[in-house]
Amino acid sequence: MSLPAESSDAELILAILERDDRRAFAALVARHQSRVRTALRRLTRGDVALADDLAQETFILAWRNLRKFRFEARFSTWLYRIAFNAWQSEARKKREVLLDLDDGALPPGPDGAVETPDLAARMDLERAFEILTDGERAAIAACYYADLSHEEAAQALGIPLGTVKTHVLRAKAKLKARLTEKELP
Amino acid sequence: MNDLESLLREDARAGLADDGFCARAVAALPARNPLPGAWLRPALIIGSAAIGSVAALLLAPAGASLVQGFSDLATLRALTPAAVTALGVGGALLASALVLVLDSD
Repeated sequence: MSLPAESSDAELILAILERDDRRAFAALVARHQSRVRTALRRLTRGDVALADDLAQETFILAWRNLRKFRFEARFSTWLYRIAFNAWQSEARKKREVLLDLDDGALPPGPDGAVETPDLAARMDLERAFEILTDGERAAIAACYYADLSHEEAAQALGIPLGTVKTHVLRAKAKLKARLTEKELP
Repeated sequence: MNDLESLLREDARAGLADDGFCARAVAALPARNPLPGAWLRPALIIGSAAIGSVAALLLAPAGASLVQGFSDLATLRALTPAAVTALGVGGALLASALVLVLDSD
């Protein structure tokens, strides 16, 4: 049985659960791969190979555990949680990941705007991510790249809502400062 | 001029080309364990068919045999006791086979 291209995530998941339909799962992967991989690239500080390995691991874990998905949250929230946990496990192999860490005050920086978002600006942004703490990077990746609300991000990252908001504010202040610094002659 | 908010949103929206990722991810999927209790449904269907067949044989008039029944059916004598027995057994097995085929689709 073929699935229409516009099938919702829920319809695809039901097809997988009822018929072990790998084509339906392939459609889910095709739909979510870009955001999951981009979020993981930001989390891994631009390590493309590691990010893709983690993304593949994420989808395999999703396939194995799909019966545990309860349709209470968006599938993307659930998927991002798996991706985040995969990144956290990998990072823990190398060093401790501290999402709750409060590493001090907001960095000083002018309130200026950032240049047009062309390719160069996006590359600068990617590099600027390196100055963020793990928690800040995770919060930005969740809220912007995985398109989660602050509440969903808190749920996915397993940290309090207030911490997510603080991380996002701090991260944006740091990024803005770094990007504006680059613009100066 | 765009602010950081726009830059982040544009970067997130830019999207990554698949580059074979989807095919690799699907090819790496392991076989999934069958649903717990997935064996129950075919077992119930086959069990019911077997019980129905045995009941048809036991309740058939004395002397009726399946071989005789199918022989009667082959010669278009469908109303003999043996033919009715054969029809009952064959029908039960055919129905269970159909249910299993439709169920596995």
